[in-house]
Amino acid sequence: MGKVKIGLLQFFTLTVLFELGTALVVNLGMNAGRDAWMSILIGCLAGLVMFWGYVYLYRKHPDMPFTAYTRKLLGTTAGTPVAVMYIVLYMNLAGRDLRDGSTMLAMATMHNTPLFILSMLMILSSAYVLHKGLEVLTRTSLMFTIIVLLIGVFSLLLLILSGSIKLFRLLPVLENGIGPVMDSVVHQNYMFPFGEMICFTMLMPYLSDVKKGPWVIAAGMLISALLLSATMALNISVLGADIVERSPLPLMPTISKISISDFIQRVDIFVVMVLIIGVFFKVSVFFAAALIGISELFNLPYRRMVYPVTLMILFTSMLDARSFTEHLNEGGRLLYTVYPLFMIVIPVILIIVTAIRSYFSAPRPG
Amino acid sequence: MDTKRRTGRQLKSADSAGSGSRAPRLSEVLAESIENIQGELGYSPDLKVRKVEIGVENPVQAAALHLSGLADKTSVNEFVVGSLLLNTDGWAQEYEDSSPDLPALLLSRILEVGEAEVQEDWNDIMLAVLSGDTAILIDGYTLAIICETRGGETRSVEESSSQMVVRGPKDGFVESVGTNVSLIRRRIRSSKLRLEFMKLGTETKTHVAMMYMKEIANEDLVEEVRERLNRIANEEVLESGYLEELIQDKTFTPFPTIYNTERPDVVAGNLLEGRVVVIVDGTPFVLILPAVFTQFFQSAEDYAQRFDIAILMRIVRYVSFIVLLLGPSVYIAFTTYHYEMIPTTLLINLLSQRENVPFPAFVEALLMEGAFEILREAGVRMPRAIGQTVSVVGALILGSAVVEAGIITPIMVIVIALTGIASFAIPAYNMAIAGRIIRFAFLLLAGMFGFYGITLGLIVLVAHMNSLRSFGLPYLSPFVPLSVMDQKDTILRLPVWLMEPGQSPQQIRAEMPEFKQVTSGHESELAPLIKKNENRGKQPKGEGEAK
Repeated sequence: MGKVKIGLLQFFTLTVLFELGTALVVNLGMNAGRDAWMSILIGCLAGLVMFWGYVYLYRKHPDMPFTAYTRKLLGTTAGTPVAVMYIVLYMNLAGRDLRDGSTMLAMATMHNTPLFILSMLMILSSAYVLHKGLEVLTRTSLMFTIIVLLIGVFSLLLLILSGSIKLFRLLPVLENGIGPVMDSVVHQNYMFPFGEMICFTMLMPYLSDVKKGPWVIAAGMLISALLLSATMALNISVLGADIVERSPLPLMPTISKISISDFIQRVDIFVVMVLIIGVFFKVSVFFAAALIGISELFNLPYRRMVYPVTLMILFTSMLDARSFTEHLNEGGRLLYTVYPLFMIVIPVILIIVTAIRSYFSAPRPG
Repeated sequence: MDTKRRTGRQLKSADSAGSGSRAPRLSEVLAESIENIQGELGYSPDLKVRKVEIGVENPVQAAALHLSGLADKTSVNEFVVGSLLLNTDGWAQEYEDSSPDLPALLLSRILEVGEAEVQEDWNDIMLAVLSGDTAILIDGYTLAIICETRGGETRSVEESSSQMVVRGPKDGFVESVGTNVSLIRRRIRSSKLRLEFMKLGTETKTHVAMMYMKEIANEDLVEEVRERLNRIANEEVLESGYLEELIQDKTFTPFPTIYNTERPDVVAGNLLEGRVVVIVDGTPFVLILPAVFTQFFQSAEDYAQRFDIAILMRIVRYVSFIVLLLGPSVYIAFTTYHYEMIPTTLLINLLSQRENVPFPAFVEALLMEGAFEILREAGVRMPRAIGQTVSVVGALILGSAVVEAGIITPIMVIVIALTGIASFAIPAYNMAIAGRIIRFAFLLLAGMFGFYGITLGLIVLVAHMNSLRSFGLPYLSPFVPLSVMDQKDTILRLPVWLMEPGQSPQQIRAEMPEFKQVTSGHESELAPLIKKNENRGKQPKGEGEAK
């Protein structure tokens, strides 16, 4: 793994697929009602600010993943437990996303297939790809970003042609003031999906260009925010805010509104495809982050740890909740209780430590 | 296991080399030398020994040995034995006068063959005789003169049967490496074209030629290929497929990472693009490397036809690859898991068909695909006279009877037939086989998981292809990693003047004279007519002809 450098375009597409991931199909930011699209954009801005914090750390330590510079900055005794916590976090996030994805799939099409089997197939494919290496994952993302975008353009075209888009459903904008939008941002959107960019701190050492790399990733975040926001606006304008709020996967009913002369209809299989691709890449990126952390922290060969970690993620995903409702509740709570600790508090501490260190160690004139 | 076998082989070859050194070598007594060679070859009846006497007054005994069938009879008779016997008197006199080295004299004055050399090493002499050369042994010398007389029966150059074109050159490679090299040289008359020979296979000692264009081909690539070829310690190299398996980057993949062709024009084109070519004696299939995915969808015809037509043909090929991979599995996924996506009237139709069929769609597809594979395999390897029967039995009897018997639905027959035909639309046979194998994996995934399985299968497939490399070149390039400049000859095939790197169309076309007037070239015959036109008035000639 050591010397692999990954091109900017591949990183860009990996970011886009990672961000779109599950977020594209769920009812993202619906606390804000019909202004959900706005809360996504504001969430993205908050996410970008956070990401720039990570970039600050990355630029100070361009060859180290996050778990390495925590130990360097906090010392081995304090840094190692923190690093282990992060690895657990990544595995947990991968597990949660796996659960999300397979449950949504079961809801959408595979009604009779056991959840465990669905999850297993997904995580095994992910393990295979990661076994081939991080470079293969990023390269594959390039291909599938194109497929996802093509599906998007195709569906949008069909939606327009079948005349289902009613833009007036988006009005009035900011009916109840900025309050609900900010509420949605604080509770959800800055963290999901944009705060999850923390795991890119593990991948950024593989960037081929220290200077441009972070900008490319940030551009990826921005583009995916625009896409997500546009998708939410599309959902609302097709279905109306009410239905979107109550539907767990609003993109499905939106797409199933497509009907052209009774021949092209019910193309929601494309949504399922987008969902599968998104979940796959999201799980794989967390998986990769955990793997890189483990191999760096315990000095183990990367490939040997692939299958043990596969098992851990699979069982995390199966055992973390008894039902999907419980899983979602848990997720909602984690979103503003636990994750801020990992995604804001600890990085901020690290940034402060780095800043102080570099201030004191900087060569002074005279 | 493999290493064991290999070390065993090495031991054996070391042994034979040892016994070779202990074996009787050339002796100063001619009869003994002949006896040794005959003994080494097990007194094979096709080893012909022609004894001659050189000189008149003090005749020196000599013998010419060759293997009949391998050597060209005419050159042995006329240029080797003939020149030994011809006017021996004059130079024998000279020989006796100055008594110089007899072999050197033979080489410089007597032998009329184009290529001859003195050889002292026993193994080299044996190899030369086994390759069809003639060895001249002279009494009193422990050496042999090797005369190049390789020849014998070979197949003549004819159209390649594996890669057909409608328009394009019709010559194909043959089994002789020399002929094949000449076919390539005839197309590229450049001093940059380099040729290297090596002998591979510890037992077969097969001639292998490596060709590349100096300055165009990457030096590291050439070095890498040379190194990989030299590392081969196999007993046998009977076909380029042996080499392909030994030098390719990865064994456990259905995808070919080395291209093979029977067409010299394809080889010439690839040489000019900087690829390395490996020609193996005894097979018309030449290896081209490195090979990326898109190359297997190109045909020599693309460059002979207009570019827009070529693009259409290429798109058809890619589409048929996708149909080959996913056709039956998408059908299964739709009918088993996602039937809501099928338009209602069609769905009713499908269901009424399925009513009479006892099997699930997955089993149906598996049965039919299996039958189709059997038919195809039977058709390929069958004597031509029976081929007709197979196609009749396969297409008519199996196809319609299976439907009438209520085992398979008609629509499944359509799907399978389409898939089968799609597999023939891919120009490279080995890529089509790869597609055929992977198709079964997708069949299984679709049967168990519907579209979920297919999508995950696609991700894994693309990831697998991304992990492949052909001599360092990523297999999916220039798509991944994306290079916009290299898209000129992938799915697209831009007009030739756009494909030349670093040159503008104006530069390439600058030499073209501008045609302002249309002349037919038959002006003299049409003279009265033209005169008439002139008489009618001063019309421009083009317009006059248009009338």
